[in-house]
Formats: sequence, C-alpha cells, structure tokens
Amino acid sequence: MNDRLRQIGILYVRELRSALRERNIVVNSILLPIVLYPAILWLVYSAISFVAGQSDVLSSRVMLRNLPVEHRQILLDLEERNSVELTTLENPEVAIRRGELDLLVRFEAPDHPDDAFPDNFAVELVYDGSKDRSRTARARLTDQLDDYRLDYLIDTAGAIGIRPATLQLVWIDMRNIASGTDMGRFILGLLVPMFLIIMLSVGCIYPAIDSTAGERENSTWETLMTVATDRSNILLAKYFYVATMSFTAGMLNLAAMTFSLKAVLRPLAGDALDDLSIELPLGAIPVIVLGAALMALFIAAGMMILASFARTFKEGQSMIGPFYIALFLPVMFIQAPDIAFTPVLAAIPVVNVAMMFREAIAGVYQWPLIGITVAVELLAVSLALLLASRILQHEEFLLGGYTGGLGRFIKDRFFKRPRSRTREDQS
Amino acid sequence: MTPVQVDDLRKTFHDEARGEVQAVAGISFEARQGEIVGLLGANGAGKTTTLRMLSTIIGPTSGRATIMGHDVVAGAAEVRQCLGFYSSTTALYPRLTARETIEFFASVNRYPAEHVAERVEQLIDRFKLNDYADARVEKLSSGMKQKVSIARTLAHDPPVLIFDEPTVGLDVLNALEVHAEIARLRDEGKTILFSTHIMSEAEKLCDRIAIIHGGRLLACDTLKGLRQATSAHYLEDIFVEYVRGAGA
Repeated sequence: MNDRLRQIGILYVRELRSALRERNIVVNSILLPIVLYPAILWLVYSAISFVAGQSDVLSSRVMLRNLPVEHRQILLDLEERNSVELTTLENPEVAIRRGELDLLVRFEAPDHPDDAFPDNFAVELVYDGSKDRSRTARARLTDQLDDYRLDYLIDTAGAIGIRPATLQLVWIDMRNIASGTDMGRFILGLLVPMFLIIMLSVGCIYPAIDSTAGERENSTWETLMTVATDRSNILLAKYFYVATMSFTAGMLNLAAMTFSLKAVLRPLAGDALDDLSIELPLGAIPVIVLGAALMALFIAAGMMILASFARTFKEGQSMIGPFYIALFLPVMFIQAPDIAFTPVLAAIPVVNVAMMFREAIAGVYQWPLIGITVAVELLAVSLALLLASRILQHEEFLLGGYTGGLGRFIKDRFFKRPRSRTREDQS
Repeated sequence: MTPVQVDDLRKTFHDEARGEVQAVAGISFEARQGEIVGLLGANGAGKTTTLRMLSTIIGPTSGRATIMGHDVVAGAAEVRQCLGFYSSTTALYPRLTARETIEFFASVNRYPAEHVAERVEQLIDRFKLNDYADARVEKLSSGMKQKVSIARTLAHDPPVLIFDEPTVGLDVLNALEVHAEIARLRDEGKTILFSTHIMSEAEKLCDRIAIIHGGRLLACDTLKGLRQATSAHYLEDIFVEYVRGAGA
C-alpha cells in the first residue's frame, strides 16, 4: 500500500510540476478564479448602475391639472425635483400619445365627499404604457404622491385625535427582521453556488485535457505506458491532479467572491450595502469544502473520460464542451430563491451540491439530505472511475488508434464483439 | 537465465476496413546478456508491435515472452522495471528540466530512493548535460533532447534495453552519437533489442540480426551466419533474398 501511494505521489507531483509551468493552466485554474468573476460582476453591476443613471438624468414631462390649492405643497415638491419638468398643454392626452408629454396628473374631487375631510382629493395618472419614458414618469409621480398621501393621512388623523390606522381601516406596516448578516448570506447563497460550480469546471478543463489528449499530442503517452507502475496508479495520479486543480480554482474563487462581493455590489446597491454583512458562516465552511471536493472529483472524472478520447488539445476542448455546458443547466435551475432542498433534488448530481452550498451559506444543515448528496456524488464518481478503468483496458484506446468519442466507444466495445484479442482475453 | 526469451508470439488487431489483421504471426527468438539483437524489417513488418508487446504496452494475442524471467503479461510491472524502452514515439515532458526528467523516471521506475540523486548526476555527467541540466526540455536542441531521452531510458539502470528506430529524424552526427552510446551499453553488459529498417545500422551495431517480414521471423543469426545461409554478401541483398523467398 505504501509503495502504491509512493508511486501515485511521484506521478502526481510530476503532473503538478508540469501544470504549474503551463501558462494556460495557471491562468485558468488560479488567476481567473481570483479575478475573473469578481471583475465580471463589478462590470455588470457598474453597467447596470450606469444605465440606471442615464435614465435618472432624463427628466419626465408632467402636467398637473386642477391641483387643489390646499395641496400646493405637491407642486412645490415637484418644482424642486430636477427629474420632473412641469408643463401645460392644451390637449395633454394627445400629447402623451405623440410622446410630447409623459404624464398627466389629474386631481379630482372624491366620488363620495365627506364633510369631515373637505381637503380630500382623488388623483388620476394618465400615461402611455407602451412608452418607457411615460412609464418612468408614472413611477416617479406614484412614489411622490404615495409619500405625500401618507404624510397627509398622518397629519389629518393627528388633527382629529385618532390613529392613522383607524382612518385608513386597513393599515399595512412592514418590518424586515432579517439582520444585515442574514441578508448578506441570502445574497451569497444566490451567487456563490453558481460561481463556485462554474469555477470548479473552468479550473478542470485545461488540466483534464493536458493530462490526457495533451500526453498524446506531445507523444509522452507511450513513454508513460512503459514506466514500472500499475496503470491504475497512473490513472489515479492524473485524476487526483485534475481534481486538485479544480478544487483549488473553486476555493480561490470562493475566497475572492467573499472578500470582494461588497465592493463589487456597491455601484448597484450603494449605501444600502453598509447594513449588510457579507461573510460565510464558519459552520458552513466544512460543508462547502466537502461539496467542492465532491464536485471537483465528479467534474474531473467526467472531463478526463471525455478528453481521453481526443488526440489533440483542440479535439479535447470540443469533446468536453457539451459536458461543460451540461453542468451549468442545473445551476441555472436553482437560481430561483424559492426552490427547496428535497430528497429528490439531493439525488441529482450537481444540483444537490449547489443546493447544499446554498443552505449551508444560509446556516441551514439538513444532515439526511447532505448524507444523500455525499452518497450520490460518491456513487457517480465511482461509476466514472470504473468506466475509466474499463476504457483503459482497451489497447486501441491506449495506443490512440481509436477515432471517435465516448458514446461510440461504449457502443462499439461494450455492446459489440471484442476487436483486438489478447492472451488474457482468451484464457 | 536468458534476459529476453520470445516464444511463438502473436498479435492480431481488428481493422475497420480489413477485418482481422495478424501483425505478428508467431515470432520466437532470444537475446543474451551483452548482446545487441537487431530487428530488421520494412515499415509494417511487425517490429514495433513485437517491441510494444515486449515492453508490455500491448498484450500478445498468444505466445509467451519473458524479460529477465518475468512474463510480459503476468508480471508486466516487473518487466517494466527491468526494461528501458526508447522509440521515436516516446517523447519527453517539455515543461520538466533535464534533471527533473531523469529524476522522475528513476523514481517512478523504482530505482532505490536513496541513490536517485547520485544516479541523476551520473547520467548528467555521462551525457555531458551539465550546462543544460536545469533548462526545460522544450528549450533544448534536438540533439540534446535525444541525449536526455536516452538518459531517461537508462535512469533506473535496467538490464534490458529496447531501441525502436532510435535514429529516425536525426542528422548523421547525432545518429553516430546514438550508435556509440548503444555500443557502449552493450559493452557494459546490457541486453539490447534494436529495431531498424536501415541496413547499415544493423550491419554496424548488431551481434545478431532478426529479419522480420509480414509479421514472421525469416531468419535470426549473425551477419556471418546470414551470409553463409545465403549467397549474398551485403545485408541489403541478404534481406531482399529472404523477403523474396518468403513471398515465393
């Protein structure tokens, strides 16, 4: 056993040493995880806030009609806003349709006047829902009128000595009891699983191709086949190396995201972020590390099997492509925040780990589901390794003479008669 | 114990277009210590397939072969430990240095760990790699790569060496250096299997020559023995006579 581990160790160190001298691998497995996604997020959110800023600069053309003198404060407030340009037109509805006016605010007497509240009024907002600018004007005035209405309600209730709730009959109060830490974890829970799985995959691609198709392209495959060790040792050393690079990429990305997320989100969320605490709960870290390790093993197995059929680096990239995309689909599926972690989801590879990440970040640990997840991932990894060892027994594959992918190989070799016979096959 | 013993070795492949193809059809020979046995044959004669079976890269369909008493199927790992395999298709890892390359192959081929460093320095001195030992292989010239490649084949000091067309793609001077090194190894007591299709190489280096054609061994003898068995003097003519005889 010790000799076997020593052999695997020698082969593993050789793989790592070569990999860390290859620019593409260093960029994809180490630099990208640290800088790429924080940079992408920062750019996206900066772009969103820039577009929102452009929209803020555009003023809304608004006409007020029949404003009661008692409520002149509305006019004064609007005149103070740079984003609203007050105007008067003869036929405002036609002007709205033509795009010459964005909103008409028509003040009217209430349908059922009440002597107790002679100042009461009704408002109709006339706008064109097919025009962005008109919808923006409506949103701006709705916010302003809501605020004014609330103040008016509180003042009026105070004047007659009752509570505002009594005056309005149904009074809705909202209070967010989530702490800054809770909200921070919620945001992390939405973003981290997706980026972590993407980065575990990205970190895996180049090492998986380099250690399989790369060996063929460089003609080092046959050299390796002649070393005095069991071929399963070679397979395991390569596998652990690819999984290590994947895991490293994932962990580096997680650290980078955790440390940079607040700064990255600031262009969009502004001062609201000051109340948020964006940090991983300590208890989640072992679960995340476990999940990342399982995912790294799973992705490494899948990518290595596919890439091992390629004879060149380019072929390897095209063979891995569909698997890489297939990994993202389940991750997109769990982006909806209301999806619950159930035993069914725990039995689906990739989805289960992503859900486990999300719950752990939120501080929720459903141990039976975590157990199912670990069992399912280990089963998937074991099946992949079994398939890899079966493939490695085929000489045509070993010598690089096989032209085709995994699907054709399985069909040809496992469901048809054997092609090349060896002495062991016959005995 | 005969270092290399081959008995009725056969290999059949399946080809999509041609069906079952017998690449090696019952080859038997042996190689003794301190001897170079040349496998001489045209392209596709079955030389490389035979050597790949002996180096355990592929398994034989039938027959038996042993290297230092170890069966190539049942004791594949032991065979590889006793064997250094060199061919034009066994390249080096471009991102390792010459020193790291030799060290890796010595270690992975189970050379005693406490002597690996000493062995590496010994080979660096032997092949005059001192000035380039810490340069990456990808930065070396073809001639230097060739030396590193032979050094890695010898890294674990195997008693049996296989050289499969070692001079392919080399210029005359580098090819001569390879010849000299192989002769030196024979003098040190190594058993060497040397595959080539270049007659002059076989004539110059080999103690015995095995002529292979169509997957069959047509003859295996010293150059003198082959001359006596045929009416020809030059190896080229001897080879042609055997091949034509096999076709008749």
